Amino acid sequence: MDRDTELTLVGRLRQGEADAFDEVYAAFNRPLFTFLLRLSRRRDVAEDLHEETWLRLVTHAGRLQADTRLGPWLFTVARNLYVSYRRSRALEESAAAGLTGLWPFSPRETSPFEETAANELERRIERALANLPTTSREVLLLVAVSGLDQSEVADICGITPSALRQRLHRARELLADALERDAVHPPVLEGAPPCPSR
Amino acid sequence: MSEPLIRRLGELPAAEPDIRRTEHIRKRCHARLARQKKTRRRLVSRMPTSERMAPVWQSAIAVLGFVYLTQVILIALAVYGLT
Repeated sequence: MDRDTELTLVGRLRQGEADAFDEVYAAFNRPLFTFLLRLSRRRDVAEDLHEETWLRLVTHAGRLQADTRLGPWLFTVARNLYVSYRRSRALEESAAAGLTGLWPFSPRETSPFEETAANELERRIERALANLPTTSREVLLLVAVSGLDQSEVADICGITPSALRQRLHRARELLADALERDAVHPPVLEGAPPCPSR
Repeated sequence: MSEPLIRRLGELPAAEPDIRRTEHIRKRCHARLARQKKTRRRLVSRMPTSERMAPVWQSAIAVLGFVYLTQVILIALAVYGLT
């Protein structure tokens, strides 16, 4: 979407035009959902946060700045919603673990992408990505998968551009290490089906 | 090491949101937009006439002020024989 089209759409959104919303929705629906799904690794969570992100857009439509960049705006909201979700879940889990001491914990979950990856390399990348720390995963997703500018990603994550460069560098290293480890010692998943076809 | 890896990440397939859920979100957002539009219209119609007319008389005063100042400058120039 070029900048002029984006500015026109923002103007129309501020007027509450449903057609403008549809155009924005068509442009960002999939990338936003993909980002949330890879970030949360759970379809139900991604769906809820995805819906909430769009509702936030229409709720704030009348108050958008005329020069708003829609992509970064939407990804910022989506990311912040995920951070809030993680925080509340961590609180719930610590409370439950304190009560029972037997809270089931699975440090390695299979991501929905991993289950449907087309080939072995794709599956390995999805697996490595899914097991990165959230801060590393989110910068890789925003820069490499969503294709946002590094300055925009720095704004989304609330960090300086130089901090982002460092975080990105570290994330790349972690991903490369994870892929290397995975190639040497591929994990054996109990009951995992042999590479499903799409 | 990293650039081909980043490129690979960019080539990973996008996820497909559930069609029914996509439509459900679109409808909810449309409904909310319509509600907000209605509320805005109601608020405007509830405004007192003087408030609603404010932009009109403010513009009129600005135009009259501009005309008046232009005339004053023209007369001053004429008095000093500069026109």
